[in-house]
Amino acid sequence: MATLQETVNSRANTVLKGVKNFVIETGELSHFAGRFFKEALKPPFEFKELLRQCYHMGNRSLVLVGVTGFIIGLVLTLQSRPTLIEFGAVSWMPNMVGISIVREIGPVITALICAGRIASGIGAELGSMRVTEQIDAMEVSGTNPFKYLVVTRILATTLMLPLLVIFGDVIALYGSALVENLKGDVSFQLYFNTVFDALGFGDLVPASIKSFFFGFVIGLVGCYKGYYSKKGTAGVGVAANTAVVTASLLLFVVDFIAVFVSDIFYDL
Amino acid sequence: MEKTTAQNIRLGIFVIIGTLLLVTAAYLIGNRQNMFGDTFPLSAVFKNTNGLQNGNNVRFSGINVGTVSRIEMINDTTIKVHMIIEEKMSAHIKKDAVATIGSDGLVGSMLVNIVPGKGDADLVEPGDQLKSYSKIASQDMLSTLNTTNENAALLTAELLQVTESLTQGKGTLGRLLNDTIMANDLKHTITNLKYSSQEASTTLAALNNMIKNIDFEQSTAGVLLADSISGEQMRSIISNLENSSNGIEKIVGDLGVLLEDVKGGKGALRYLSQDTTMVNQLESTMLNIEMGAEKFNQNMEALKHNFLTRGYFKKLERQQKKEAKKVQ
Repeated sequence: MATLQETVNSRANTVLKGVKNFVIETGELSHFAGRFFKEALKPPFEFKELLRQCYHMGNRSLVLVGVTGFIIGLVLTLQSRPTLIEFGAVSWMPNMVGISIVREIGPVITALICAGRIASGIGAELGSMRVTEQIDAMEVSGTNPFKYLVVTRILATTLMLPLLVIFGDVIALYGSALVENLKGDVSFQLYFNTVFDALGFGDLVPASIKSFFFGFVIGLVGCYKGYYSKKGTAGVGVAANTAVVTASLLLFVVDFIAVFVSDIFYDL
Repeated sequence: MEKTTAQNIRLGIFVIIGTLLLVTAAYLIGNRQNMFGDTFPLSAVFKNTNGLQNGNNVRFSGINVGTVSRIEMINDTTIKVHMIIEEKMSAHIKKDAVATIGSDGLVGSMLVNIVPGKGDADLVEPGDQLKSYSKIASQDMLSTLNTTNENAALLTAELLQVTESLTQGKGTLGRLLNDTIMANDLKHTITNLKYSSQEASTTLAALNNMIKNIDFEQSTAGVLLADSISGEQMRSIISNLENSSNGIEKIVGDLGVLLEDVKGGKGALRYLSQDTTMVNQLESTMLNIEMGAEKFNQNMEALKHNFLTRGYFKKLERQQKKEAKKVQ
């Protein structure tokens, strides 16, 4: 029978351990990111592998992002219609949907989808390579595994995500326009005219820059979790799982910082 | 190897389409802000820009023709708004156009409206400053509304007092509202008034009929009303009457004076009118004359019977009968 003091000590130790692990992981992740920048700028560059990763992360995610974006646009419009009709502001639908998709929903939803698909994929792939000692083998054979496996993947996600976001935005707007066209008799031309009337560079540019950071976070977390996965088959699963969870969480942190910074920048 | 090439082609297509979409979006947004295409600058000076911002639309006759490029504070009451306008619009905007600041709908963003002038002025040139008209700012309207509200509050407070007095039956109006006897009296009065007005209406209708029935050509009233000659004559008669009355008044005056003279004078008339002794003498004289006349009648009767004069009287009698027969 544990005494109260023992229970408190045990809980405190757990919390302390958690904090310590969090700090260590943050430090390791930062170190990992620093190593990425160091390796990324140093030749030789693995272009072929980069292109291969771009294809896998960009093209292969397109359908998923497209379907998600279409449904988001559709649902957002359908859900907003009754409220806007109540206020007699249904003509503002393109403005509202356009701004919310381009500024926030498009980048965040696409990034979350990619975090689920790409970060887990990278985590599992690199984790299994670590488990099967392929990474060690590469080191032994004189190939830089970090450059070949990590830099290419992080660069690929960083470059591909903004494009996926653009595709997602366009398809989401198309979905919204379809609802407006069917339910509100608004032509596609009028819809997109109104959307681009409402949009400014203050909406498009921060969202695009933010997407690069989202891509970087997804690649970084996925690679980090996979690269340093624990031995054993369970380690692969844990790497894939934690990669998705950490990447999703970090995405929101990055989103908050990006919105905060862009708000200050565009207010000036 | 083939697989890699195919993958690269697909990746290339993906990247190209994605980049094109991004560029198109940027172009469309930029185009709305007149970042591409030929433009020319115009400006206008306002006292209050009502929240106008860089990038807000500029409309000419309701068409979006440009955007606000810069808002410059000249001094505390002068703000210069710089605009960039599509080059093709330079053929339509004239120098007498007036710029105003409005909003796009009730809750929309602010914009600059350029209203065409009425005259035949020259076309604007790049860098021209348009005349401006500042509408009442919403803040000023709210300020006025605040004063109105304060006045309304005072009025309602006073109105409350008045209604309280009324309900308590104070004052004339209060009594009017609360006194049932007065109300009944009023009701009667109104009923009487109604009756009177009905009667007046009937009378007027009758009078109207009468007037309608007057033969303006033939009847006296018609002649009196319509004949201008008779009117003139009437006027002259009245004028004569006036003159006559004036004359009578004068005569009456003179008579008054005469009577005064008679009363105060020593002439025969005064003697006749005021001397009672003479009246008595005259009375006795008249009696004597009467008696004398009676005796004279007797004498005449005696003469008729006297043989000397009887013939003459018979002759007269015969003559009278003859004349009477002639008349018959």
